Amino acid sequence: MRVLGVIALALAVSTGAASARPTADPGLNSSEIVIGGTVPLSGIAASYASVGRGAEAYFKYVNARGGVNGRKITYKYVDDQYNPAQTVQAVRQLVQQERVFAIFNSLGTEHNLSVRSFLNATKVPQLFVGSGATTFGRDYRRYPYTIGFLPSYIGEGKVYARHIVKTKPNAKIAVLVQNDDYGKDLLAGFKSGLGAKRKNLVAEQSYDALSTDVSSQIARLRSSRATVLLLITTPPFAIRGLVAANRLGWRPQVYVNQVGSATNIMRIVAATANPRIIEGAITLISVKDPLMPRFRSDKGMALYRTIMRQQLPRGDVNDGFHVYSMAVAYTFVEALKKAGRNPTRASLVRAVANLNLRSNPFLLPGVVVKTSSTDHFPLDQGQLQRWSKNQWNPLGKVVSAR
Amino acid sequence: MTAGRFALRVIGFALFVAIVVYLPFRISDFRASEFALIGIYFIAILGLNVLTGYTGVISLGHGAFMALGAYTTAILVADHGMRDLWTIPLAGLLAAAAGAAFGLPALRLSGPYLALATFGIAVATPIVIKKFDGLTGGSGGINLFEAEGITGLPEFIVTLPGGKVLSFNDWLYYLTWTFALALFAIAWAIHHSRFGRSLRAIRDNEIAASASGIWLASHKTLAFSISAFYAGVAGSLLAISAFSVQPGAFPVDRSIALLVGLAVGGLGSLAPLAAGAAFLVFLPQWAQDISKAPGVPAVIYGAVLIALMILLPLGVGGLLRRIMGPLTSRLYPRS
Repeated sequence: MRVLGVIALALAVSTGAASARPTADPGLNSSEIVIGGTVPLSGIAASYASVGRGAEAYFKYVNARGGVNGRKITYKYVDDQYNPAQTVQAVRQLVQQERVFAIFNSLGTEHNLSVRSFLNATKVPQLFVGSGATTFGRDYRRYPYTIGFLPSYIGEGKVYARHIVKTKPNAKIAVLVQNDDYGKDLLAGFKSGLGAKRKNLVAEQSYDALSTDVSSQIARLRSSRATVLLLITTPPFAIRGLVAANRLGWRPQVYVNQVGSATNIMRIVAATANPRIIEGAITLISVKDPLMPRFRSDKGMALYRTIMRQQLPRGDVNDGFHVYSMAVAYTFVEALKKAGRNPTRASLVRAVANLNLRSNPFLLPGVVVKTSSTDHFPLDQGQLQRWSKNQWNPLGKVVSAR
Repeated sequence: MTAGRFALRVIGFALFVAIVVYLPFRISDFRASEFALIGIYFIAILGLNVLTGYTGVISLGHGAFMALGAYTTAILVADHGMRDLWTIPLAGLLAAAAGAAFGLPALRLSGPYLALATFGIAVATPIVIKKFDGLTGGSGGINLFEAEGITGLPEFIVTLPGGKVLSFNDWLYYLTWTFALALFAIAWAIHHSRFGRSLRAIRDNEIAASASGIWLASHKTLAFSISAFYAGVAGSLLAISAFSVQPGAFPVDRSIALLVGLAVGGLGSLAPLAAGAAFLVFLPQWAQDISKAPGVPAVIYGAVLIALMILLPLGVGGLLRRIMGPLTSRLYPRS
């Protein structure tokens, strides 16, 4: 027993060396590949739990069809309560005790940052990080085992800026922004996209993710007499911000970032406030929204509903995070197929950096998942949408969000 | 204290040390990192016990002192190239100073009012940290992994003569438990000192204590300061073991968790507080193992906590006293 323990220990600490050999990577045998990740299942961000459950449902669907090269995918996602210190402990558990092949689909900017160095030092892939923070796609030379998924927040900010410059070149702009890396990233992209029109940005107010009210910020933004309002906010704050603006009788042209613009969120605003506050609002999206009528007979969404019915019958079909997480899981499965019959951590990382997927059923038509050795932004396209008649309607073509 | 009782305590402590030293030989590499985390919580709870268990002052803000300790270590290691080990006492001292500075005005409040004041600092902590992002790295925090001063990295590996391989998790384990045992001994000394008795007198009856010549303000402030020192050391060790600090690591829940650990361990106990620390680390995991359905782990956690408080109103420490009381009272007379 003792001897076994020592051998296990020796193996555990020599994972780095082991990954150089082709067949010795942990978490993989002829019938199974085990991957893991962290998702908040409890605490303030528990609504993101769907990001874990949707991906799990997709893997179960793939497993029911024989898996990938005869291997079933086991996805162990652990609760980190959206606390980066817990993420560290949970990821160590996944790597050192559960011996996962890769970390996949972990959610949150700070949370992924807190384990990035550890995973790269131990050569464990950190795949399709659930954050649009630009560093995950940009700093691949320093962190070759890490790759993001979402369009970078900087790129998204630029798209809104370009649209405003084109359609309302002289409008005064106000911004409500979350005071963390996500908010700062998106705002920086927005400012750089404004270019010479930077002076049109007349008011900026930030809020903390732990706060509960943004009405004083909205009041200050309104007093700037801006006619455009950009919300760089998560869903609860998009709702609160718009409800507060409505209460003040403010009617700016609203832009909502992708994180906070799901159809079910907008409908909550329309139901709580005057629907006119969001009439004509604009957002950028890349993933199909389950509540969009134009996807009612779409093949990809039919597949989505089938998987939800079979694998996650108690989940909310209208929750867009489920679609998002299946889009990520689909990308993982495709990458795994390309990593060879007997994948290694290194071959999987190479495959992930060599993707060209035109037919992800859960992404908007025309959105391509493309990576290369110098491009670690899998998803860098989206389509602007305009809100009218209680739904998002496409506005123009698929655009690059770089 | 009689000589017999003292000898018994020494034997008990020696046994505790022996278990701590031997444990990594029996558990897996990863478990060692979990027990390191238990050591960290144990330190913080020991500190909170000086304040809440002895003095009767409830603090809902000890997460803030942990954050201060963690950031002291992170900034000194990442920006000033200091070796992590030397920053641990500094982190404790800085937290102690902050504890005294906060304690002086705040201790004019009593009971629930003071608890609310401490709750205020717990709520403000993550936001204040983000505000000073030049120093603290904002919401992304500080990464220590690539800093020079970090002693134990995942490559850390030592083979002992007996064939036992010490990994970096074992290193973290021994590091945290060395501090935990030293601080445990100090807490024990405080418990049995004149100062400790004065604190308990304050807890039991402030007016009587003050009539007996105990200066309330200085005693309470010192208790606050000592307790913050423990929290600072725990925070520092947390930063070292996680290789990083972020404001998100110190939410209000963390402060409340410490109080939960203290209640489960038993207010006023010492060694049983380790059980409270273990509770904080293991119960959320067990709850998750039972079910991951939405909301279920939180309900299990709550239900177990309620059941535990009904069954063991004085915590694990109270249970041990009840079991051991009849045995030890035969060994030496109670005075």
